[in-house]
Amino acid sequence: MGGRLKIVLLLAPALAVIGVLFAGGLVIAFVQSLGYVPAIGMTELTLDAYRGILSDEDFFDSLVLTLYVSGVSTGVSTVLAVLAALALRRSSGRLSAVVFQLPITIPHLVAAVGIALVVGQTGLGARLAALLGLIGEPGDFPALLYDERSVGIILTYVWKEVPFITLVMLAALRGVASDLEDVARTLGAGAWQRFWYVVFPVISPSVVAASLLVFAFTFGAFEVPYLLGKSYPTILPVMAYDEYRGIDLAARPTAMAINILIALVTGAIAALYLRLARDLGRRRG
Amino acid sequence: MGKKGGNVGLALVAALVAVPFVPLTLWAFAGEWRFPDLLPTAWSLRGVAHLVEPGGGVLGATLNSVLIGAATAAASVAVGMPAGMAIGGYQWRFKGVVIFFILLPILVPPLASTMGVHVTFIRLGLADTLPGVFLVHLVPTVPYTALILAGVFAERTGELEEAARTLGASPWQAFLRVTLPGVLPGVAVAGLFAFLISWGQYVLTLLIGGGNVVTLPMLLFSAASGNDPVVTSALALAFALPAVLALVLALRVLKPGERAGGFVGPGKFS
Amino acid sequence: MSARLELENVSHRYGNDAPALEKLSLAVEPGELVALLGPSGCGKTTALKVVAGLLRPTAGDVRVDGRSVVGTPPERREAAMVFQKPLLFPHMGVTENVGFGLRMRGARKEEAGRKADEALRRVRMEGFAGRSPGELSGGQQQRVALARALVTEPRLLLLDEPFSALDANLREEMRDLVLRLQREGGHTTVFVTHDQEEAVVLADRIALIFDGRLQMYDCPEAFYDRPATREVARFFGATNFIDGRANDGSVRTPLGDLRLEGTAPPGEVTLTIRPEAVRLEGGENSFRARVSSTSYLGTQVHYELRAAGTTLRAALPPHVRLAVGDEVTARLPATSLWVLDRRF
Repeated sequence: MGGRLKIVLLLAPALAVIGVLFAGGLVIAFVQSLGYVPAIGMTELTLDAYRGILSDEDFFDSLVLTLYVSGVSTGVSTVLAVLAALALRRSSGRLSAVVFQLPITIPHLVAAVGIALVVGQTGLGARLAALLGLIGEPGDFPALLYDERSVGIILTYVWKEVPFITLVMLAALRGVASDLEDVARTLGAGAWQRFWYVVFPVISPSVVAASLLVFAFTFGAFEVPYLLGKSYPTILPVMAYDEYRGIDLAARPTAMAINILIALVTGAIAALYLRLARDLGRRRG
Repeated sequence: MGKKGGNVGLALVAALVAVPFVPLTLWAFAGEWRFPDLLPTAWSLRGVAHLVEPGGGVLGATLNSVLIGAATAAASVAVGMPAGMAIGGYQWRFKGVVIFFILLPILVPPLASTMGVHVTFIRLGLADTLPGVFLVHLVPTVPYTALILAGVFAERTGELEEAARTLGASPWQAFLRVTLPGVLPGVAVAGLFAFLISWGQYVLTLLIGGGNVVTLPMLLFSAASGNDPVVTSALALAFALPAVLALVLALRVLKPGERAGGFVGPGKFS
Repeated sequence: MSARLELENVSHRYGNDAPALEKLSLAVEPGELVALLGPSGCGKTTALKVVAGLLRPTAGDVRVDGRSVVGTPPERREAAMVFQKPLLFPHMGVTENVGFGLRMRGARKEEAGRKADEALRRVRMEGFAGRSPGELSGGQQQRVALARALVTEPRLLLLDEPFSALDANLREEMRDLVLRLQREGGHTTVFVTHDQEEAVVLADRIALIFDGRLQMYDCPEAFYDRPATREVARFFGATNFIDGRANDGSVRTPLGDLRLEGTAPPGEVTLTIRPEAVRLEGGENSFRARVSSTSYLGTQVHYELRAAGTTLRAALPPHVRLAVGDEVTARLPATSLWVLDRRF
């Protein structure tokens, strides 16, 4: 059929790029995670790498850290975004768009450097604290970089992702939610009733979807923790990278196994997100 | 909450957004700024000079970033446009599955797939080269261009093309004279997105470029790991510049509805 | 239950724009259905939102049963509104949507559900109680929205072009439904529309608004028989305007002296007559004219008649067959001539 052939031909270039460079790469990564790396003479298929990491305390420390960083970043970002969106829903749309687009557009590395210069022990925060007489020297200021609680990483993520979730929420709030709120008003719903029975249920799928995206991203992101994180434990993508870049080539399957686990987790979140997005689309349609 | 409260809130948010740029800007032009001074005690252009120093490597890295970004933008628009046409312009079976497949590289971090293709790239002589880095940059950009353009094509009903056909245009003429001019703003946005995504890429360049392909984020990262906040800040501002310019451009040129806001995702540009 | 609504000198402006509403005054009697009619952007929706409480008037007063409600928030006005779009709550089923207003007033779930089912029966949607809004067509959704407003037994029912998004035959069906429900329930109803025919069919009285100002407020027939101004007459399809000078009971015009039924204040005036009222016969107020164009409309034929430099339109039954160029005698019956003030 001509029509079907046309679709296939139109899709072919994009699918080829993604199929070869992304899916192909994932397949190779998976095969290597099973211990098959002929380039270094490993040709036996085993689950050793997975067994290895699952019994490795370092891996679990990393996993916990990763879940902690992405969980807290997502949670804090979502809460702040909800508050910001509710506070800003009646302000100028154009102005808030500019203010919020900026952090979304700025690369993570720039954000990380900027945040580091604010919260570091000789940063702007510490200088202010010294001015107020709260601390005497840099060492008195709490260590927020390369630290146990990954505060610098989380702050960078929050700075970057709050605007994203807020914009998604504002779009939902200013769109149909505000019309529905008017309907609810004429039907006798008070402010709290309107929020609880109408606004909240209507916008929450968009918020959940946006939060899922943020979680998936922070779970698999590399550079901010690589720059601002401490050396042990590291988050999973950094751990995978270190294993991959290490001198011991036999560690490759381990690196790949970690990668595959990250891909599985984020892939599952992606599927969940798409389901939500589709339901949202249906509802509107 | 009243309008006034909203504006106070907006001012607060704007201040929070601006905070990281305060030390970046101050440090970039600082000559001496000791703890606990709140402001630099001397100013200098050392950071700016470092950026434009002929042998300093920044200009070369910038050129690499621009080259890779431009090539990535052009290629991903070329690849993403037909896909966008298919997704936005036509109805067919398994569309959801294809969209999921195209979205995956955005949602699943590219570390795994890039490490996977690394060996093959080494064998093909693509590792540690500009073309190799360009190729892996397509992984995060093609999904965005395809989906942005799908949105653009979805808004077209095809009636204008039909009108052109009844006036004697061939399908190809109708595409060239009617469709293409109509989607041009969308194509520009998609290309800009692709450029910015490529521009912000760090880990993909690190893995495939292996340290031999030096782009701006490489320099920024090593500066940030070092101990010279003046150079680091100057680099960071230079690195952020295209994003800011693009934002200004997008807000000026595009009407609110045309802004591809629906595709804004976390981590888009890094 | 139904209330008397009064608007007194209500003005509203958005920001620094030109006023959307300028000193609007009108009263709606209990149980009456009033249409706010006007071209889009004339301020009629603004007026409705002011009544609902969704907008606060910049000046003037809104009274329900004699008591000012300007300071009352919409949720305490008992003024249910149906919007242009159905705006059903997407996360609730049909029954929950209809029962929403009752639940907000503290009704138990079972009671709200029972009354919702009853309301759904009234809009002939009883088979759809378990559905979700997304599964309904546009017309069905709008019926549910109507039930959702009616179930609260509002003191005022406000309808903002509720059928404008529906196609023509569905619109007619919905009109009949609204008319029946309004007669049954006796709700004081304000209905916004830009469709002159819709207003005439539905309304007890029509308030015609141009540019935020009330032009005329009267029963539908008056807009045809006794339009206040030339603009009002035009809006209702009048095309025949004859300038002249009034003198007691007759007006001197290019067509001759035309006698009126009553008297007109002496001076410059404009006469108007509906095309259907023009007769092809001799007698009082008759003159010779030439047919300059014809158009066949099925149930009627429209003729353009030229006489003494004036063009008149006549609508005649299809069995009268005239051709372009024919000479005829036309008569403008005194009972159908209406005097407009020349100022307009």
